[in-house]
Amino acid sequence: MSGTILETRGLTKAFGGLVALNDVDISVEAGKITAIIGPNGAGKTTFFNTIAGAYRPTSGDIIFNGETMKRTPWYAKAIPPRLRQKIFAERLQQYIPAHRRTTLGIARTFQNVLLFGSMTALENIMAGQHPRSRYGFFSAALKLPRARREEERISLNAMKYLNMVGLGTYAGQNALSLPLGQQKLLAIARALATEPQLLLLDEPGAGLNTLEKRELSELIHRIKELGTSIILVEHDMPLVMGIAEWIIVLDSGRKIAEGTASQIQKDERVIAAYLGEETD
Amino acid sequence: MLARLISKWPYLIMAVLLIVLILLPFDWFPGKYTTLMIFIGISTMVTVGLCLLMGYTGQVSLGQAAFFGCGAYISGVFSKYYSVNPWLAMLIAAAVTGVFAYVIGYPILRLRGNYLALATLAIGVIVWIILRNEGPGGPDGFSGIPALSIGGFAFDTSFKRYFLVWGFCLATLFISQNIVRSRSGRALRAIHGSEAAAESIGINVAQFKVKIFVLSAVYASLAGSLFAHHLRHISPQTFDAMASVKLVVMAVIGGLASVWGAIFGAGTTRLLSDEILVRYHVLSGWDIPIYGLILVLVMIFMPQGLFVALRSASYWLRYNWRELPSITKGIYERKVLRLRSGGVQS
Repeated sequence: MSGTILETRGLTKAFGGLVALNDVDISVEAGKITAIIGPNGAGKTTFFNTIAGAYRPTSGDIIFNGETMKRTPWYAKAIPPRLRQKIFAERLQQYIPAHRRTTLGIARTFQNVLLFGSMTALENIMAGQHPRSRYGFFSAALKLPRARREEERISLNAMKYLNMVGLGTYAGQNALSLPLGQQKLLAIARALATEPQLLLLDEPGAGLNTLEKRELSELIHRIKELGTSIILVEHDMPLVMGIAEWIIVLDSGRKIAEGTASQIQKDERVIAAYLGEETD
Repeated sequence: MLARLISKWPYLIMAVLLIVLILLPFDWFPGKYTTLMIFIGISTMVTVGLCLLMGYTGQVSLGQAAFFGCGAYISGVFSKYYSVNPWLAMLIAAAVTGVFAYVIGYPILRLRGNYLALATLAIGVIVWIILRNEGPGGPDGFSGIPALSIGGFAFDTSFKRYFLVWGFCLATLFISQNIVRSRSGRALRAIHGSEAAAESIGINVAQFKVKIFVLSAVYASLAGSLFAHHLRHISPQTFDAMASVKLVVMAVIGGLASVWGAIFGAGTTRLLSDEILVRYHVLSGWDIPIYGLILVLVMIFMPQGLFVALRSASYWLRYNWRELPSITKGIYERKVLRLRSGGVQS
């Protein structure tokens, strides 16, 4: 795979007066592991939420696989473009909602894991197969052959992803009874079960010990080999420097640098951002 | 032998219950519970819908009696005043109620927690007022609703209607059970777990909430139609806000996370309200505080519902029944000791 999988153009997100993302232009190469780093409050998680669709951008565009995430609703189309721009500016602009983006191929994990507590480990992953399976209330209610077939396929696939993160033996356990390290792996497996082209990992290493972190970076490499592009937000520098092929640095909502690990380590602005010095 | 019997308890209990359910309405069966059981069956249908909505999806509805009332009134009015076939009237009622639930569910299901409870409560009150002021017969309701019939076979006695109602009720239960164990069921539980996470795995949260709201409304509407064609007289007071609260009590007692608990919840609540409280006038007028008390106690001590609590107690018994004599003996001995020591001291 080559080319760009994700691109943002002038992406801005403001919460009232606080501008969490300010005119961010990035492009992420397909099939690579890209890390987003930056000091606390740099806007990393906001960036993730905006890409995954949890937040609506204030302005700017997100382009996934050459397709814009912008949608003009029918009532906005009724107004001539120039007039619309004059009266409403960006306010009528809509973006594809989060669940549709998952279907398109963007999956994510959360900083606070967010597994489904009323389900077993396997069921959590089966739930992740939702966008890749098709049968509704009706066939479910009557247990039509289609429902059975799909259900069988879903559970087989789910088992595959569960084994991939090495949790096959815990299939029948309640998801929240697992230790944090395994919960994090389970959350990654759940995201993988949506069969994404782009996987967003929000602080996958937080709260893990050294051994678990090593396993995690191995897992991330294996996911990459499946042809999935990965963007991760991470605080743990050794982990980031070890696995990321491209690093983007955000500071107070702006992109201040990007490059390979060695370039970033030498970059003066990055050092300044982390140590709090003036650049000039 | 005994051990094997006990390990098969759940099936045994199910089988016995099913046989009792079939034999119950016959004249020679001890006790006259046919009418009560019809009401239990009807309430169960509404409660199952509430279980799906509240227990699995985590969305509260305090206006379920409104849909129940819609089903009863639409079915009654069409079959009585427009001489529509009662079955067709029932279908029309279910369709109209479903559309109604969709139209109101779409905006109000964006609300959460207490706000959603209040909004649904308001819908319930509004529907009740409309039925009372605009429905035929006003606050007294109307009678003369025709009975259901298939070909020449009319469901004209309680005995026949008993089987009709329970047929519907068991069908609802099976359908709901199938839904719970499917892709859609997982989606519903995912929404209950975390809406953000559910969105992140491609579940259209808003749409699923509305779908399950409509399904529960259709269940309630079908139950309402059965109710109207059973009693053949309906009045708006059956569908007031208190009725909605009662339905929530049934769902909570039955255990929100269990479809089959709905029978249990509807059964206990109906038994309490229709039999015990009415037969022994001691507590007449006290049903509202009693429901409140039950709701509070169940929520504090058995948040999973009485049914689930009893079920886990039976599991406990299954694995510990051998030790049971020694446990009871221990309790007994401690009691005797305490009594004796008390006796010595006094």
